[in-house]
Amino acid sequence: MAGEEEPFVGLMIFAIVCSCTTVPWLLSLFATMITQPRKRKVLLERETAAATTGDSLTTLSKPFGDREIREFRVMMASVVMSPSWVQMWIGGIMSLFGGQINVYTKVVDWARREAKQRLREQVAEAGFDEVVNMRIETTVMSRNKGGKDKTAGVEILVYGTAIKY
Amino acid sequence: MQPTAAQNMIFSNTETIPGMTISQSLGVVSGSTVRAKNVFKDIGAAFKNIAGGEIKAYTELLQESRNEALFRMLNDAAARGANAVVNVRFATSSVAGGAAELLAYGTAVVAQ
Repeated sequence: MAGEEEPFVGLMIFAIVCSCTTVPWLLSLFATMITQPRKRKVLLERETAAATTGDSLTTLSKPFGDREIREFRVMMASVVMSPSWVQMWIGGIMSLFGGQINVYTKVVDWARREAKQRLREQVAEAGFDEVVNMRIETTVMSRNKGGKDKTAGVEILVYGTAIKY
Repeated sequence: MQPTAAQNMIFSNTETIPGMTISQSLGVVSGSTVRAKNVFKDIGAAFKNIAGGEIKAYTELLQESRNEALFRMLNDAAARGANAVVNVRFATSSVAGGAAELLAYGTAVVAQ
């Protein structure tokens, strides 16, 4: 009798192990594939809408020309982005081989564009014309105490002095 | 921000203040704060990681604390008798276990 039950128990354990490992993986894979391209598309639309009047952000320490500046204010925009589980997993494997790790590049680039776009919108909303001396600051937010999990999140801060002519 | 002298402080990211001349430098001022995130927000963020993308709870947390650091820097400048801070810079570092240190620094000046 005991011999007949054994394959069944083995199958149960196999099923539990499989569902604990592959189900979150698949869930993450589908969630990543569905949500991320859509969000990037929305960002691209916002960027193209803003680009019609030229980029308002500059890293120059002074604006061009000698127009009188009526008002100025330090403005900042930030975003915390995190790669998904699948992206972290792929990145982990890719980092064994070295070279460019495309999944991380995508996320960090996306975060930086998002933060810059937010600053542009914020500046336009407050009625300022231009941002001078823009700076970009990047911070890795680690979840683990030892800082091993370097990809848990990246914070991008974009700040500068918004000016009004 | 609480209403103090720091609220009337002029601060800029640039080396000069448009329309004003700097008459005196009062040295480097800085303000910092270390913040850790909330456990409940942390759990929410872990679920957010399924799909990746922005974690709004952290964005808000860091923004809030950065304003605090900035406010402390302005207070420091006010205590020195400055009326403006130029060349303001922000720096962030993650200390340990999800805590982040936010630092704002700049040069306190007297401008007319």
